[in-house]
Amino acid sequence: MEYEFPDDLKYMKTHEWVRIEGDTATIGITDYAQHQLGDIVYVELPEIGRTLEKESSAGEIESVKAVGEILMPLSGEIVEINAIIIESPESINSSPYGNGWMMKIKVSNSSEINELLSVEDYKKIVEEEKK
Amino acid sequence: MIQELKKTPFYDIHMNLGARMVDFAGFSMPVQYESIIKEHEAVRNKAGVFDVSHMGEFLLEGKDVISFLQYVMINDLKLLEPTKGQYSCMCYENGTVVDDLVYYEEEPERFRMIVNAGNVEKDFQWLNEHIGSKDVKITNLSSERCRLAFQGPKSDEYLQPLVDVDLSSINRFYFAHTTLNGAPIFIARTGYTGELGFEISFDNKYAEKIWNDLIKIGASPAGLGARDSLRLEATYSLYGHEISDSITPIEAGLFWLVKPKDGIDYLGKETLLKQKSEGTDRIIVGLNLLDRGIIREHYKIFKNDNEIGYVTSGGYSPTLKKTIGLGLVEKQYSEVGTEFEIEIRNKFLRGKIVATPFYRNV
Repeated sequence: MEYEFPDDLKYMKTHEWVRIEGDTATIGITDYAQHQLGDIVYVELPEIGRTLEKESSAGEIESVKAVGEILMPLSGEIVEINAIIIESPESINSSPYGNGWMMKIKVSNSSEINELLSVEDYKKIVEEEKK
Repeated sequence: MIQELKKTPFYDIHMNLGARMVDFAGFSMPVQYESIIKEHEAVRNKAGVFDVSHMGEFLLEGKDVISFLQYVMINDLKLLEPTKGQYSCMCYENGTVVDDLVYYEEEPERFRMIVNAGNVEKDFQWLNEHIGSKDVKITNLSSERCRLAFQGPKSDEYLQPLVDVDLSSINRFYFAHTTLNGAPIFIARTGYTGELGFEISFDNKYAEKIWNDLIKIGASPAGLGARDSLRLEATYSLYGHEISDSITPIEAGLFWLVKPKDGIDYLGKETLLKQKSEGTDRIIVGLNLLDRGIIREHYKIFKNDNEIGYVTSGGYSPTLKKTIGLGLVEKQYSEVGTEFEIEIRNKFLRGKIVATPFYRNV
């Protein structure tokens, strides 16, 4: 199985992706993660306005068979959540980097960005997990 | 020591299809090929084929097979005749369940039995321990024969051209021996999906040929994930969930299965008939959620802050597009319409007891 991992994103070893634009970060789960979960049927996300620490729980994804937790890749305040995935959770399966994005945060500590993984490093982690 | 997982004769086919494999009862089995929801919908709308070769298959032969089965089974074999099968449970004296299974009367002295994958060895031993002086010989055919379930509203139409039997002459729970595109098969009109369909059994050497024949006529490969979501919608009990060695058939709501069998002693009879007439303290009910979320087995059920039971099976219903589940709850809270709360990861979601089955097309 070949998975798609865009070059312009940063990654977490727990399979979240991050798109940095100024002090805003958009967060989702990777193509590999959505494949592992299978058909996603329910997503729970934090309320807008909440501030969460890096690596704290930022919600849950339930597929037909499994439950996955979303971790905050960076500390910050939730400024937007994607209404599409609340109504159509399957968008995460069909478009993990597009319509299936999960939330946007206002980054509170930009030095944490350097701790995120490059696409090359993340691909290595996926290769290890697939073994 | 890590024990290597057993493989069914369809293992290479599953791998070539890119299935996600899981350990199920010691077998490496496909949980899904591409999408549980798509596989589920294929079975509801057309036809799907499931590898169920992990399940056990026994042959029981001898003069005393019927009286032996009357003693170890709770259903009544008086309702059987040659070419007919019957669903039943084997129970312990305390009424809890050794296994649930189907047996088919080939002849009065020759029965075929299909048992749950996880219970094959336990059942074989249990049956043999109770033969006593009766003339019964049990042969375990599980590894020399393989089994497929072919299920869906189109299953008759798709299959008819390939078999040498008029499928419309086989009523529900009846069976025949025939050929499928030349290969000898046992075919029964039984299933675990709530749809029309068949379960077939045949020698391992025909595995690849018969699988390919079924795919050619329009069956979609379906994995254990869809098998579970289909059976939950159809509200069929699953051993280890709704019935088990700690839950009786009466608690599982299978009242019809516990037969009086006047003049015949059978294992569990006293307890089960008492439970049937007097009721039990707890019972399996259907669950829906009023809040958004998914319920899974083992989640606790509360009423007014008191724990009243737990979820035995739960998940998303692809047909109804909502969360459904089954739970074992205290009888006093079991009425349809009763509201409750379910604890999910330290949060409480509101739910309601509903009538079952959730969905059935047969």
